[in-house]
Amino acid sequence: MNQPLLLLWAEEASRWAGRAGGAWHFLVSPGGRATAAALVGAAGIWWMLPGGRRLGRWFGCGLAAAGLVILASLLPGLGSPLAQTGFWLVAGLTLAAAAATVCTKNPVYCAIWLAVTLLGTAGLFLLQGAQFLGVATVVVYAGAIVVTFLFILMLAQPAGHAYYDRISWGRVPAALAALTALALVVTTVHAVALLGGAAAAGPRTPAEGLDAGARIAGPTALARGEDVLHPDHMARLGGQLFSRHLIAVEVAGTMLLVALVGAISIASQPSRGREGMGTR
Amino acid sequence: MSELALLQNYLLIGALLFGLGLTGFLVRRNLIVMFLCAEMMLQGISVSLVAWGRYHDDWGGQMLVVFILAVAACEAGIALALILMLRQRSGSLDIVAWQQLREEGQARYVDREVPEEREEPPQWPRLTPAGIEPPWDPDEALHRSHV
Repeated sequence: MNQPLLLLWAEEASRWAGRAGGAWHFLVSPGGRATAAALVGAAGIWWMLPGGRRLGRWFGCGLAAAGLVILASLLPGLGSPLAQTGFWLVAGLTLAAAAATVCTKNPVYCAIWLAVTLLGTAGLFLLQGAQFLGVATVVVYAGAIVVTFLFILMLAQPAGHAYYDRISWGRVPAALAALTALALVVTTVHAVALLGGAAAAGPRTPAEGLDAGARIAGPTALARGEDVLHPDHMARLGGQLFSRHLIAVEVAGTMLLVALVGAISIASQPSRGREGMGTR
Repeated sequence: MSELALLQNYLLIGALLFGLGLTGFLVRRNLIVMFLCAEMMLQGISVSLVAWGRYHDDWGGQMLVVFILAVAACEAGIALALILMLRQRSGSLDIVAWQQLREEGQARYVDREVPEEREEPPQWPRLTPAGIEPPWDPDEALHRSHV
């Protein structure tokens, strides 16, 4: 179970290599499907990136969506159809908005699509029962950070579309980046598959996951699923935050203050104007 | 098994978000868009952390995400101030403007093909014409449907 992931993939590939119709069997096996999905999705993203591809961006959108559907077919069901539908609605919205953030030319639209992505992740947090994080993401990220980005964009963006928004880096770096993302996703899918195998092999002992929590809760450790999903969500989260993580809270507060002072001191330096840095 | 299925689903979404953000960070050239993509990578990590926290029934994942929020706020403040300074000095948001910082033996990056900007006619919203007086109806003046 602990062999390296790439080795596992190679083993799966070599198992089907010499046989009749082996290529098709490999494509249908989970490893092959993950690889195919990542390849198709990466090609779609590459097509959608700014930089004048011939077939148009909707072709790329279709490729990326096809990759996502293949990946979704690999995942286990969530149990109830309602939960499944809700999850895929929110997750699909999040991923589509994320792809649009990366691929839109106009940076203002990029920021707005990022705000949609953040709303989607807030929905994912809510579906996981992390209510505070869902609300905090909407308030802090979508409400404050993205709006600040929009302010800076309005301040700094030249009128009209800048040439550097219409192109991305050359084709080779773009393909490399997409392949990196691909490798990441394939590795994750394999890690997740390993996880499923490990869980099927033997049930986890409760002490394994509750070890850290039991140290706080003392001898009366809660049953599984009753800590993070407790109805008193905020009270428990606040209790954890201000007991176990108190020093971290203080450090974070100090860090916010330092960042504030630093940003002011950076922004209030007298500008020296252009110094011939342009390259075109 | 449902908890495990939930974890697997969320891990995949987190990885996809991280991968998309990474691709954007490596590929896009606008400083601000690069920074937006970095924020997206943070979101991918947050989704995975919350999923692991739920799976292990432990608050550690959510705590880390709370601190990620704080760090992201600091980072956004500092980085935006820096981006403004860089923009003042180089005159554009293009990251290529700073390729003077490259190593000695590295070749200079030159844009080969900049696609033409397609002039699309702006589409203005169609408003109903305002300021035209409706035709005078004596009946309506006498019998108002509302007061």
